[in-house]
Formats: sequence, C-alpha cells, structure tokens
Amino acid sequence: MNPLGFFETVVAFRFMREGLTQTLLIVFGVALGAGVIIFMSALLAGLQANIIRRTLNFQAPIQVLAPDQVSRSLRRDDTAAIASRVQPRSQQLRSLDQWQKVRAGIERMPDVVSVTPVVAGPGFARRGEATKAVSIVGIDPDSYVRVIALPEKIVAGGYDVGPTDIVIGSELARDLGTEVGDKLSLASAGGSAATLVVAGVFDFGNQGVNERTVYVALRTAQSLLDLAGGATSLDVKVRDPFAAETIARDIRETGDLRVDSWISTNAQFFSAMSAQILANTLIRIFVGITVALGIASVLVVSVVQKSKEIGILRAMGTGRAQVLRVFLIQGGFMGLIGAFLGSLLAWGFLMLWRGIARNPDGSPLFVIVIEPSLFAIACVGAAFVGILAAVVPARRAARLDPAVAIHG
Amino acid sequence: MDERATSAETLRLTGVRKSYGIGTPVEVEVLHGIDLVLRRGEFAALIGPSGSGKTTLLNVIGLLDQPSAGTIVVAGQDAGTLEDGEATRLRGRAIGFIFQYHHLLPAFTALENVMMPILASRGRADDAMRATAALLLDRVGLAPWRDHKTSDISGGQQQRVAIARSLAMNPALVLADEPSGNLDTENADAVFDLMRDVNVASATTFLIVTHDPRLARRCDRILELVDGRLVSDRVNRDVIRRG
Repeated sequence: MNPLGFFETVVAFRFMREGLTQTLLIVFGVALGAGVIIFMSALLAGLQANIIRRTLNFQAPIQVLAPDQVSRSLRRDDTAAIASRVQPRSQQLRSLDQWQKVRAGIERMPDVVSVTPVVAGPGFARRGEATKAVSIVGIDPDSYVRVIALPEKIVAGGYDVGPTDIVIGSELARDLGTEVGDKLSLASAGGSAATLVVAGVFDFGNQGVNERTVYVALRTAQSLLDLAGGATSLDVKVRDPFAAETIARDIRETGDLRVDSWISTNAQFFSAMSAQILANTLIRIFVGITVALGIASVLVVSVVQKSKEIGILRAMGTGRAQVLRVFLIQGGFMGLIGAFLGSLLAWGFLMLWRGIARNPDGSPLFVIVIEPSLFAIACVGAAFVGILAAVVPARRAARLDPAVAIHG
Repeated sequence: MDERATSAETLRLTGVRKSYGIGTPVEVEVLHGIDLVLRRGEFAALIGPSGSGKTTLLNVIGLLDQPSAGTIVVAGQDAGTLEDGEATRLRGRAIGFIFQYHHLLPAFTALENVMMPILASRGRADDAMRATAALLLDRVGLAPWRDHKTSDISGGQQQRVAIARSLAMNPALVLADEPSGNLDTENADAVFDLMRDVNVASATTFLIVTHDPRLARRCDRILELVDGRLVSDRVNRDVIRRG
C-alpha cells in the first residue's frame, strides 16, 4: 500500500501521486529555489572565506601594541590654557611593556589559540647598488608559525629563520636580484646593519607584502632596531576570526594597551562583506517566500480538488487532526524532495563553476568548499518551509464540513 | 418514545430538529421533531419526495451534521454529548455509509478503499486489515478486482466496493443514500440483494433512502418523510426478499 503504511502518509502520497503533474511542477519549483539558495550560499561562503584567508595569510587576527604616546601638559591646572595648539607627539619605535607577562595573560583567554611576539620596524635591504625600503619583522619561528602560515607561502628555499637568516618576499627578491643562498645587507633606519643569508622566498599573493616585508629572527630584529629583549607587538590567533573584535575588546580591558583586530583594520572590506551578506540573505528570504507560496497555492488547489475525498474520509471516521497531517506531510515532503533535488542541481552548478572559474594560470579563481551541512540545512529548512506553507490549506481541509463536502 | 435506549436498539432519535440560517431572517427548519427507533437487524427504507429532508436526516443520523435540537443515540451512545473527535470515532466505529455515486477514493484500489475505514481507525496498515478487506470483497463477489483502481470497474461493481467498505468496521448501522439510484435495474437489484444478504447474515441495521417504490417494498419497514416530518412508519408485511 505504501512504504510506511501510516494512514496519513498513505493518503498524502496517494494524493500527490494522483495529482502528479502538479506535484512535479511544485517539486521542480522548490528544487530551483533551493538550488539557487545553496549555490549562492556556497559561492558567497567560498568568496568570503577566500578573501578572509588571503587577508589573514599575512595579518594576525589581533595585534597588541604599546599604547600611543601622547603629549602631556606640564601644568596640572585644567582651567588654564598654556598654548593655543597642542602638537601631536611623534611615535617612537618602542617595546610593549612587560610583553612576556601580557602574552601569558592573553594566552590564558579561552578563545585565543596562540600568541607570538614580533619586533617590527623600518629598514633598508641592500644588495650591490640596489636599495629598497623594507619592513623588518623579527619573529620567533616556532610560535609565529602557529599564527601566520608562513611556511605554506615559501616558494623557494625554506622556512629557516636563524640568527643570520632572512626570508624575503618574491617581489623584493626580484627587485634586488637575489636568490636563495645570496647575502644581502639589512639596515635599520637607526643605522644598525647586518649581513644576512636569504634562506627563503615567500609569496603571499599580495604585491605590497611581497615587496616590502622581510622576516628575520626575533633577536636579529631586536639588535637591528635597538630593542634588546623587547617586542613591538604580540600577534594573536583566535579560534573564530569573526570574534576577533570582541576578543580585542577583552584584551584592551586588561591593561593600557593598543589592540587592533583585523576587523577594525579592514573596516571597508567588512562593510562591503556585510552588504553582500545582507543582499544574499534578502535574496534567500524572497526565494524562500516564493517557494512557500508555490507549495501553499498547490495545496490550496489540492484541497479544493480533493474536498469530496476529504468529506468521504471524514465520513469514514477520519479525524480533523488526521486530515490536517495529510496535508502537512504533503507540504513537508514536497519541500524536502524539492530541496534534495535542488541540492543535486546546486552541486552540479558548483562543479561546473569550479571547472570554468579559473585564473589565467589554470588555478581555481577561489576555492569553493561544498559543505554537506549546507545541503542538510537546506533540506531540513525546505521541509520546514513546506510544512509551514501547508498549515493554511491543511487547516482549511481539516475544517471542511463532511456533509457539505460530500454532497457539495 | 421517551424510554431509554436498550441494547437491541441501534438508533434512537428523540425530537430531532434541524434548522439552517439560525438567527437570521432566512431561518428554515428542515426537520421538525423526528422520533425514530431502529432496532438491531432492521432493514428499513426511508422514502419521501425530493426536498422532504431525507438527506438531511441521514446526515444528522450519520453524525455528519449536528441537530439543532433533540437527541441522537447511536449504538447506545448519546452523540449529543460527544466532542467532534469522539463523534468522528463513533461514526467510524458504528456507522457505515453507502452513497448514490459510490464516492470511492479514485487514487486507491478496490482493496485499499475497503481497508480505508480500518486504516483511519487504527492508524497503520497490517495484514489482518488486508485479510478483512479481502474477505469483504470476496463476500460482494469482487475478489478478482481487488487490485484494480476503482475507476477501472463498472458502476455496479463500484457500488459493491462501497458496500464492502461500509462494512469494514463491522458497523451496527449502515446508512445508504440512494445506493442504487445511479444503476440500471439489474445492478440495482443485485446491490439490494447484497445489502439484504449482509443484513440477514450479520444482523446489521440498514436505513436506505430510496425514491424507488419497487425497492422500498423489498424492505421490512418503510418510513415516509414529508416536509421534514415522519408521516408514516409501517412494517412491510408483503416484503419481497429477492429481486
């Protein structure tokens, strides 16, 4: 009679089979709607993840720095002005006060994955006649790798950041005409200099970073920048990059620190992403409403068409709740099966997209991760929407007067 | 007619009235205080001109419609005190329906149509249910057509399926509204014979609405409804048992 054999499922499935064209049309409509939602969601998630990954490739989610130096009045009397203009103080390169203690405190925070000290300052890289302004970044290789995946970005040589080693960007290597194993001179703006061996060349896929950033050992940078034992910042990796701003606020509250999250330093990007998420959400909502209206309209027609049968079933002792469930099952099933087909459709389009959306070198434009959970959520969501859409027609069917329905 | 229902009584109506448009200027009373008792195993015809209220009375007796006044006791249970759900369960359990246009479910086979009242009552199909339905179809001579869609069988066969369906829950009372009204004489007689056989074999009470005096004469008791009043209730002493 029916796979499940329950009265409601038996009747619901037969009603759908009887109006097969209607059922197929609405299932196809749901499939299209669900397919569009899944495809858009996967595409947008892939795009966002790609942009975020690229940003967080070379930028820690949170950076803890020494507070800005400010000009202070010599007099304590706030009521008297001693100058018409207070000139902002120039910022000196200085270490974070007691950075080891600060680091230990941050590491104890629940959502923090790793903390690494960094000594960063301006300098010049020189080889022969070529000189380039660079940003010297002194790192502790072991802990730095837990915050920034630098080894993955090495395109030549290795991730060796010993006391006499330097790892440079691919653009800088080209500008200076260096290769792995070559020596180059690195000088700070203060005049200290060291001759270092190029141990590795990295490519972050960002011209500015590849052109200007050089990585050396923490002690080498401390010596060059005259910050013995110091660290200009602590780079912090957190479990959820989107919680970075909240965690940054928590860190800020622990002491006199300047804490920047990647969200605040990339405000424009986040604003654009928020707009994109909003637009996508609106599209999903409207597609969802369209799907729900489609299911509801088909079921309303079905109730009218089947009113005599409903009356007969009621005459035979079928309760109102049973009739209600017959139509809710139809709505839920059409939503579920439609979303399942939509998932297949979306999967096909995503595969097609993977095939055609490629960089000139043949690599994917961006990685789309097809999460099975997205399909599961879409199917469960569509079934829920289907049931919700069926409520009105189902109630109408349940309220049918059997005497009127039979003789009407 | 004010004594309490006894176990031998299948149906007792006391002062049943039915009005439409109550409280409006177009209020119409269709049934004007019907008193009626049907005992177990009775085979009664309800006759009357069109518009006399036969179908309304059948709907009220079948608990498909609520009376405006009066009491209805079906199979010993006062239907007036029941909630909608309880009335539905009583209807499913104690009353079988046979309609003029068979009113089978076209999406189902003959066997499934017969199973449907049991399925609605028990909630889930089982083998015993199938066996009962098959037995009933066999009893009405339709065993070979059990797996046919009801749209694929003749009008007479459809009405026989409807009879089998009405008996699925082994009801105390079967209400038949013009069961042969849509059939030729031969099929009408066959359907009537079948109902009579069931009545004799299982002492099921039948109340049959018919316009046909020939068929009414084949019933043990003839009730006549005119303008919403039972104007005649007589035992048919010259009953013709077979068509």
